[in-house]
Amino acid sequence: MRRTSFPLFVASSLILAVLASAETRPRYGGTLHVALRAAPASLEPSDHGVVDFASLIYDTLITVDQRGQSQPCLATSWQADPGNQRWRFLLRSGVTFSDGKPLTADGVAASLRIANASWKVFADAGGLIIERDSPSPYLPAELALPRNSIVKRESGKEVGTGPFVVSQWVLSKKLVLAAREDYWDGRPFLDSIEIDLGESFRDQVMALELGKTQLIEIAPVQARGAGIESLRVTKSAPAELMALVFAQPSGSAQEQQLRDAFALSIDRESLNKVVLQGGGDPAGGLLPNWMTGYEFLFPSQMDLTRAREARAEVPHADVWTLGYDPNDSVERVVAERVVLNAGEAGLRLQLAPGNTADVRLVRIPLASLDVHIALSELAAALGLPKPNYGSDSIDDLYGAENTLLQSHRVVPLLHSPHEWAIAGTVRNWTGTRDGNGRWRLPDIWVSPNKP
Amino acid sequence: MATAGHLGFSKQAMMLRRKFLILFTFIVFLCVAAVAWIISSLARRAFEKANEERTVALVAQFRREFNRRGEDVAQRVQAIASSEFSTRMALALSRGVPDYAAYLSEAGNVAQNQQLDFLEFLDSEGTIISSAQWPAKYGYKDTSMPAGTVPPSAFLKQEELPDGRALGLCAVRKINVGDKPPLVLGCRRIDKDFLASLEVPAGTRVMFYQNLEPGFSPQILIDASGPIQRTDPIAPLIRQVQQKQLEASQLIHWSSDPAEDETIDTIPLPGLDGQLLGILLVGNSRRPYVELRQHIGSTAFFAGFAGMLIAAALSGWAAARITRPVEKLAHAARQVAAGNWNTQVEVSTSDELGQLAESFNHMTRELIQQREHLLQAERVAAWRELARRLAHELKNPLFPLQLTVENLLRARQQSPEVFEEIFQESSSTLLSEIGNLKAIISRFSEFSKMPSPKFERVDLNEVVRKVAQLFQAQLHAPGRASIVCRLELPVSPVSVAGDPELLHRALSNLVLNAMDAMSDGGTITIRTKQGGHYAHIEVSDTGSGLTPEECERVFTPYYTSKTHGTGLGLAIVQSVISDHGGRISVRSEKGHGTTFEIELPLNEDKLQAQDVVGSASGAIS
Repeated sequence: MRRTSFPLFVASSLILAVLASAETRPRYGGTLHVALRAAPASLEPSDHGVVDFASLIYDTLITVDQRGQSQPCLATSWQADPGNQRWRFLLRSGVTFSDGKPLTADGVAASLRIANASWKVFADAGGLIIERDSPSPYLPAELALPRNSIVKRESGKEVGTGPFVVSQWVLSKKLVLAAREDYWDGRPFLDSIEIDLGESFRDQVMALELGKTQLIEIAPVQARGAGIESLRVTKSAPAELMALVFAQPSGSAQEQQLRDAFALSIDRESLNKVVLQGGGDPAGGLLPNWMTGYEFLFPSQMDLTRAREARAEVPHADVWTLGYDPNDSVERVVAERVVLNAGEAGLRLQLAPGNTADVRLVRIPLASLDVHIALSELAAALGLPKPNYGSDSIDDLYGAENTLLQSHRVVPLLHSPHEWAIAGTVRNWTGTRDGNGRWRLPDIWVSPNKP
Repeated sequence: MATAGHLGFSKQAMMLRRKFLILFTFIVFLCVAAVAWIISSLARRAFEKANEERTVALVAQFRREFNRRGEDVAQRVQAIASSEFSTRMALALSRGVPDYAAYLSEAGNVAQNQQLDFLEFLDSEGTIISSAQWPAKYGYKDTSMPAGTVPPSAFLKQEELPDGRALGLCAVRKINVGDKPPLVLGCRRIDKDFLASLEVPAGTRVMFYQNLEPGFSPQILIDASGPIQRTDPIAPLIRQVQQKQLEASQLIHWSSDPAEDETIDTIPLPGLDGQLLGILLVGNSRRPYVELRQHIGSTAFFAGFAGMLIAAALSGWAAARITRPVEKLAHAARQVAAGNWNTQVEVSTSDELGQLAESFNHMTRELIQQREHLLQAERVAAWRELARRLAHELKNPLFPLQLTVENLLRARQQSPEVFEEIFQESSSTLLSEIGNLKAIISRFSEFSKMPSPKFERVDLNEVVRKVAQLFQAQLHAPGRASIVCRLELPVSPVSVAGDPELLHRALSNLVLNAMDAMSDGGTITIRTKQGGHYAHIEVSDTGSGLTPEECERVFTPYYTSKTHGTGLGLAIVQSVISDHGGRISVRSEKGHGTTFEIELPLNEDKLQAQDVVGSASGAIS
């Protein structure tokens, strides 16, 4: 019995070891099917809907790592002249666009000039020079933004140097990407990626459950259900700001009081706990606490008493219209809750689906892990003045953010994470994005076997 | 004249037939119209009654449908309350503070599964655990929930929504877990989709008015297709129901087209507290009724029209059948008037018209017999008159002849010495009287042998002037009262085809006749004129005039009212005029003069022939 059982034990151990190694060993080939809500109208990297997959097609000069530090990409090194207005970059050699043509300094300069009309960008011997009108100490992180991707535009088509090349593009519907064998950073594991665009959360979940797709976005409510149904759900750190933005600046002290009352009336804790299913954080500031460490200093607690007092000091208050994206179920519930909360403070709001309203509910992804760039991009997206950073210190950053909040134009509500559901066949999914919130799909592969 | 008379009779016959035709047709029209009106009236009453009954039935059917929907909602809510999910939720709630996040979308999912528009899970205090219609309302109290006991059946409830208020047909049920059982409140929203889902009979539509505020707001009156565009006609009815909160019914005229009329029955919908929450309006189209009525009307019209045509044809036939004997009689009468007294009418029936025809035939026979008798009498009278005139005329010369012969005989016997002288004188007298006899005989002979007129173009004005000139001396002869002769002649010649000699003689006789009638003087007026195809001559005097009897006999030969004269003058005038195709008449009144009127045909054909002959003669000469 012992004699026969030992060989069997060895054999079975070998088989299990082989199987285990087969599960973890990278595998080339296969197609990853992805579904997204975004429905971009072009493949321009500046398009909001292209952000998620821009890094698959295009490269930037510099990338930002998980710690918000700039890392080389198409530029291997860079140096600023004193005053941080003139920067010199050395380009990586041997890089080609997906059409096979080599990357040149002139091509990079042309691409950056299109993305930034006010910049002076030109080629220099063996490198690239960028001159700004004002000191730009955070230019490397800014160059890592998707909109600064290096793009060659020919015959109305965009060509990048990224790991994938566009093989099929159906406007706002479908994008098929094929792996580049000659990518300068090595061939991706996947042969291709098929992205279905404009898919609702519900349709995405159905597609995942039916095995038609392997990577989807999910809403917070769905995340809870997905967890119950044992789907692989992963989420990022809170990387999106949900806020209320007034269309007009506050003109008078009474208007500011009303806006203060409005901000105090909102039960962010309940919104986060119920609507976001506890997945995010109540927001008092624009940048999340995990990025700045000081966000807790901005009040986010509901104080109905103070809200009512502030409201009572203003004899007359107009009915505000509250705009939101009617196609976003999360926004709809949040907007309805905000109306209820404000009503308790004596403020009357009327829901007005769409963008034309006195107050708009917006969701803005954080553009960068670099806090200065992230705050600047947020301010630009919210229509707020560009923040002024006196120095690189955290105090100045706080001061700049506080100035934005004191404008009474924006009421932060929540910082919410990005959440995805992944099929069991997807391997090496790290659940993280790069420093600009982009997927790192070139690092994953697809297993032919179901888990 | 005969032709004109014929046309006149024909027109009268036609008029009679037309009268019959119009009369018959009118009677038939009245009958058809009366029948159509009676049928239409009866049909309208019957349809009105049927329509009312149908409306009542429809409203009752709608109520059943509405109640059935309520029961359906109650069953669905009961199913939710009895479900495993509800039980688990109730158990979780009984253990402490509810996890609103866990149920945020559950009400929506369950509502979708159960096909409910509104669904709320509430704790025993009425706090919303999960809401399908307003997910963000978790943690808030539903203030409109009925307090106390749970209503056993469906009820109406006004539901607060993020974008306003809506009315729901709701049911509430307990989840029987624990001491403080949670509640399930489910509703079907009463909106256009709800109205569209109701099974209502054809021709019926359901409208709904949500009673959000006092007064009428047109934009919240809807039917199955959405807001109603035109609400003015229905507004008073809704206001009435709002005030009285009682059912009402009214015929609504949406437009001038009666087919678009609707009988609207209103059903007030109160909530549990009795407050009027909405009004259901069941519209019953009157289109089928109006179309049926129009169909009957058009059928009656066409039937009436066809009846009228048939009636007209039959009336024409009947009128012709009735008037044909009359026409025959009229034709026969015209024949008789034309002198054909032998005319007889065919007697084909024995009715009144047959008797009339028989009487007509009898009359013509009698007329013929009377005429024969009259002719014989006139002949006898004429011969007697002729004998009297001859005796009278001959007696005058014979008496001197007799006296002269007797003088001769007496002179031969008593005074032979003067016989020779007396013989000479007597012979002279005898010859004179014999000459008178011959003259008398000659005049009679002349009358019997009146010459035929020799037609030529004659200007009557010229003839008149010659006659006046001829008698000018006699009119003013000494020893007699003066007579004025006045001519009233047109400037243009009045030409006829006639014999100038005979016409001159006729006019002379008339002037002589007038002079004889004016022994105390007076005025003779002679007028000529041309009218149509005739020329007219009038000779008037201001003499003693004639009696009507004299007027009748004045043209009779040998008749005279004078102490002297043969009585042939006016007879000759009539003979001349008659030979010219004309006619003469007399108009007189005793003491006021006499007027002779002559109508002469122009005889244009003869004039033209005369002209042709004249021109040909001229050409030859």
